[in-house]
Amino acid sequence: MHPEKTKHAFEPKIIAFVCTWCTYAGADLAGTSRMQYPANVRVLKFPCTGRIDPVFILKAFQQGADGVLVSGCHPGDCHYIAGNFHARRRFAAFRKLLEFVGVDLGRLQFSWVSAAEGGKWVEMVTGLTERVRLMGPMQEFKELALEEQWSGAINTPELQEAYNSI
Amino acid sequence: MQLYISEKNLKALLDRLIADGMRVVAPRMDAGTPLYGPLTDSAGIVLDQLPRRSAKEAFFPLCEDIMSYEKQGRKVSLTDIDPAGFPETVLVGVRPCDAAAIPVLDAVFSWDYKDEFFLERRRKTTIVGLACTKADDACFCTAVGLSPANPKGSDLFLTPLEGGGYACETFTEKGEALVNANRELFAEPNGSTALPLAEPQTERFDLKKVKAWLDGHFEDPAWDSIAVRCVGCGACAFLCPACHCFDIVDEGTEKAGKRRKNWDACGFWKFTHHASGHNPRDLQPKRYRNRIMHKFKYYDDKFGQTLCSGCGRCIRFCPVGIDIAAIVSEISKK
Amino acid sequence: MHDNPIDTSIYAAVTEAIQGEARRILSEGHVAAVVGYAAARRKGSAQPVVVTRADDAGKLIFSAACVNNLAVYLTKARKEIPKSGKIGIVVKGCDLKALVGLMGESQLKREELYLIGVPCAGVLASTIQPDTALTAGTIAPKCRECDAHLPTGCDFVPARQPVTPELEKHYSAEIARLEAMTPAERWAYWKGQFKKCIKCYACRQVCPFCFCEQCLCDRNKPQMVETTPRPAGNFAWHIVRAMHLAGRCAGCAECERVCPMDIPLNLLNRKMAKELKELYDYEAGFEVREKGPLATYDEKDDQSFIK
Ligand code: SF4
Ligand code: SF4
Ligand code: SF4
Ligand code: SF4
Repeated sequence: MHPEKTKHAFEPKIIAFVCTWCTYAGADLAGTSRMQYPANVRVLKFPCTGRIDPVFILKAFQQGADGVLVSGCHPGDCHYIAGNFHARRRFAAFRKLLEFVGVDLGRLQFSWVSAAEGGKWVEMVTGLTERVRLMGPMQEFKELALEEQWSGAINTPELQEAYNSI
Repeated sequence: MQLYISEKNLKALLDRLIADGMRVVAPRMDAGTPLYGPLTDSAGIVLDQLPRRSAKEAFFPLCEDIMSYEKQGRKVSLTDIDPAGFPETVLVGVRPCDAAAIPVLDAVFSWDYKDEFFLERRRKTTIVGLACTKADDACFCTAVGLSPANPKGSDLFLTPLEGGGYACETFTEKGEALVNANRELFAEPNGSTALPLAEPQTERFDLKKVKAWLDGHFEDPAWDSIAVRCVGCGACAFLCPACHCFDIVDEGTEKAGKRRKNWDACGFWKFTHHASGHNPRDLQPKRYRNRIMHKFKYYDDKFGQTLCSGCGRCIRFCPVGIDIAAIVSEISKK
Repeated sequence: MHDNPIDTSIYAAVTEAIQGEARRILSEGHVAAVVGYAAARRKGSAQPVVVTRADDAGKLIFSAACVNNLAVYLTKARKEIPKSGKIGIVVKGCDLKALVGLMGESQLKREELYLIGVPCAGVLASTIQPDTALTAGTIAPKCRECDAHLPTGCDFVPARQPVTPELEKHYSAEIARLEAMTPAERWAYWKGQFKKCIKCYACRQVCPFCFCEQCLCDRNKPQMVETTPRPAGNFAWHIVRAMHLAGRCAGCAECERVCPMDIPLNLLNRKMAKELKELYDYEAGFEVREKGPLATYDEKDDQSFIK
């Protein structure tokens, strides 16, 4: 049975970068077990968390994500032995960098979710979605994308209008 | 037309123009760096130092959209940017080296193809030049036939006076129109003398001789010793008031995006890199050679002008201390 | 006091010693070339030079205007430097850290280099006006917190002791100032700085560690970073740059010195260095290490940020 869906004024866009062996399988399990979780999340599957370049996270925010979830196998369970250990250091550094340039880390969640943890997957996705919903849309990168250098800016009302209409 | 304007009235003029909806572009501090940009009021103007980037960006932005595309189902719609919408602008406080480079750029942007993005901004902009009373040993306008008081490229030219204010001379209809519309802010010349102008360089390059040497020395061991230190960045070209190379890129997603035009530089390895993987300018000395050749030979061959006005920015900001004035001086003595 | 002079009197003797050593190793055939500094036209200026003949060794100098990290000539510009035989190179302590890092990354071999170390009291923050006296106000910010005034492990170091007064630290103070801000304030600060960037890539081109044949930020298939110098593309470029240098940057601060738009680039690199020191106790130094902090791991690494 589908529970009544509550309507929200703001539906955050969440991008999840997951490894295929553990978290993707965990999400799959959640699906086949008919567990409910917010439809806000779009899942992108990678061979390993070691393949998830920080630039993907950056790109996700630039393309309009309000929150990002990165998830893979628990330490010791990596299909490629140490991919997640390397990833762990890289993400630890990257989140410090994002924080330093002014990104609120509440929008970025890392987790280990195994193939058997369908429930944990639901918990992660729900938690991040609800948290980001309270934070509101990620404006910073969107505003940045609309900004131009003064010299190239189109700032007459007519042009702006023509531009906005497309 | 020769007149006088006090510092106070110059600011009043700018504030009036801004209030009337005119875009007033002038040097101001931007996050700690002197750069040209639109003023919100005259108080922000910075006239005592050469802006870091040249005035060319008022006509040739470092990045501008020229078209946008959007895909809806099978339909693709394209929208051109119409230069007719560019704002009327007054560009104030332009140093002689920056102003002189603008007519040099006119030649290339209205040659085989009329670049309406450049030309429309050019038509809509009135340039107020300003003489220099300070120079350092990187300045060399005098060596390339200009001077700290040369009004080339200015519609209206200001010369700072002893005891404050500026002597103001108009050189074009645009300049006269600006003065006439605000005539009461200007007074008759009051007889005070101009502040001593800067004397950047005593040397005068023999540009004919330089070109003659370049004509015959495309291959020469000198290029290696000059450019072995060049690291291949774009600082020199991007700060240069006369460099005008650009790149066109499409950016966006498959659904929607923009076609953009942004500055490019012959110092970059990618500048001549072919899709095949071949690069005719495979080593840095060949790229640096192009910089000198284009400025002192090719541009002269094509347009009878020199693509350098001696502002010295590339000398001051070259990461590895390459000094174009020293190089040209050496060539002129060969 | 800001105009307190820094004692650079040893630089004359250092210059002489560099010349003598370069002359010797070139004439005895130990090296094919020496990469060093030479005086240039502007008063007080210096520029990198490659000397291949013993007769030219007299061109070499050391002064407060010898700001460049010459290590860059051993990686990126390698094709332009004569390749055969050993290369001699003049290095300050901070430059040496970069060379050591490059050896760790298998870009250079110690046995192919002849290192001429410089006892260094500091260099200028900027050479826009090279004829500037070295003072507590004009010294490079990196020199204010330098722990490498005397390089070690070189083949030759002139026997001089630089006088190095205690100066107020710049980067640590700036990092602390930014850390104390709210995320929104930090965002606004960096946005204002990055907006100025013109993508001249001087910062990348002078960095000894940016030796990729093709930078990720130049690629367009796929395009991970907008190549246009718009605020959005600039922001992305700077995040990628800082991340790619994390755990590798040796702190020479060349990136920041050359930026024509005065963007405090090294702040980002030093912030990353600080975090990696705290997390994994790693620091750039004089000892060649096979793997940087982000090229290795420990099973017991902190994972308190992972749920
Ligand atoms: S010197 Fe180079 S960057 Fe400048 S206009 Fe000529 S080709 Fe373009
Ligand atoms: S950081 Fe140290 S070694 Fe490097 S230039 Fe400054 S004082 Fe010299
Ligand atoms: S040197 Fe400065 S302006 Fe040039 S690309 Fe780097 S940050 Fe941007
Ligand atoms: S990032 Fe800057 S400080 Fe670090 S090694 Fe590169 S140029 Fe030097």
